[in-house]
Amino acid sequence: MTQDATPPGEARAPRESPFDGPPLSLEEELAAARADPEPGPDIDTVNESLADGLNRCPKCGSTDVRLRGSTEMLVCLFCRHQWQEARVEEEFGLGVGIDDLEGTVVAGGAEEISGDDDVITMTCGGCGADVVVDTAHAMNARCHWCRHTLNVNQRTPNGAVPDAVLPFRLTRDEAVEKIRAFASKRRLFAHPRFKKEFVPENVLGVYLPYLVIDARAEAAYVGQGEVQTRRWTEKQGDNTVTYYAADVYRVDRSVAFTVDDLTVEGAADRADFGAGTTNNIVNTILPFDTKNAVKWNSSYLVGFTSEKRDLDVADLQPVLEDQLLSIGRSQVHDTLAEFDRGVRWEAEKVDVRGSRWVSMYLPVWLYSYYQENTRMLHYIAVNARTGETMGSVPVSQPRLIAAALTVGTVLEGIAGWILVATA
Amino acid sequence: MIGEILWATSGDEAPLWLLAAGPAGAVATYWSLYRYYRNTDKSHAYERDTLISAQPVQGHREKVRHISRTRDSDIDGDNSSNHRERVQRLE
Ligand SMILES: [Zn+2]
Ligand SMILES: [Zn+2]
Repeated sequence: MTQDATPPGEARAPRESPFDGPPLSLEEELAAARADPEPGPDIDTVNESLADGLNRCPKCGSTDVRLRGSTEMLVCLFCRHQWQEARVEEEFGLGVGIDDLEGTVVAGGAEEISGDDDVITMTCGGCGADVVVDTAHAMNARCHWCRHTLNVNQRTPNGAVPDAVLPFRLTRDEAVEKIRAFASKRRLFAHPRFKKEFVPENVLGVYLPYLVIDARAEAAYVGQGEVQTRRWTEKQGDNTVTYYAADVYRVDRSVAFTVDDLTVEGAADRADFGAGTTNNIVNTILPFDTKNAVKWNSSYLVGFTSEKRDLDVADLQPVLEDQLLSIGRSQVHDTLAEFDRGVRWEAEKVDVRGSRWVSMYLPVWLYSYYQENTRMLHYIAVNARTGETMGSVPVSQPRLIAAALTVGTVLEGIAGWILVATA
Repeated sequence: MIGEILWATSGDEAPLWLLAAGPAGAVATYWSLYRYYRNTDKSHAYERDTLISAQPVQGHREKVRHISRTRDSDIDGDNSSNHRERVQRLE
């Protein structure tokens, strides 16, 4: 056989073109078979109809396509045809089989993000010009020559393309109203500069990257619980003191459960909930109706900005386990009623029997405000599906302290008056 | 709050801890307003707002000792309602 003819480095080349090149030796075949196969996506979510990088209207072929917010449908600006991509829930069977999940199942768009450049060059299918798309900030660009919209639709090697997208439902005007209402309830103690610069019309529609997880798990908890057996009072000088007697138990609980569409942040910037950030604001407007997400088609993104996912499934395993532990704790909570003096959990564990990961873009109307004196980015965020609104409004510390002191002084005055009156 | 204080003291002599009402009220006012503006304590309640389907909870209890006399009205370190406080992980 032609053992020396094939350098070892080329042993894997046949993966791409299995019938090209010289045949492999038995050893090489075995080595190739034993080598870890490149793990392909478990759920292939590539939208084949977009393979040429252009989103064409299925009726007239025009590429001037965008989301029509009020209807959640894509509309062709040329012939007014409206349509919608298939819901991923049915298309990829995401709603079913959670009870039988085994191992870690990863959809194509949730594969590892490679460290490659964010910037990719696309050749315009309309006129042939080369257009640069910075996938860190946008998933599409317009060809400045022929006005074709170029889309990052092919599975780019840097894993930038999600599996699914949940279209905007709330219109911009509705979002502006929500944001205005939220802020106007918080006017009195707002930072004066914020009040002056607050322009809710500056709201931006942003698709934020999330990983949506179905999981099957078993969680177990061990701790101590106490049951009161007696309660009595004793006189000690002028006071009466209450005493208790209690039985102490070692308590253990376990529960098996499944979760459907647990949603976690896919961008590290948003996933850091440290005290110095306001990221919890965007987190608070979860959940989304992720069941209505549709197959990826970047036409849904026209007119919106997007943020790129930079956390991989492996990075988020600890987050998943953490949330599953919390969910399990809340599930066993109702079985602790007999321990009327409370339960202290001391140890816990979770076995993730199976999980399925899908990457999605979820729609958020975002009003952001950078507070210069504290260097903090504040947001008012509106869930563009449910309308749930949450925000962080910069406060005027002097006013807040003044209010606190006023209340404190009034209370102290009343207290003093009572003391004097009853002395 | 003021009503409670008045009610609590509408007896004989008012206790001296009433003097703490001023500072306590100031701190409480500060924090509740601050929270209302900044919402630092909010987050997605995934324990509740996610589709969860659980099988029946399994479990045991085993008496380990008896406390015959304590002034504590409850167990130390009760974290049974604080689902996100992580404790030691068993492997
Ligand atoms: Zn058309
Ligand atoms: Zn072009």
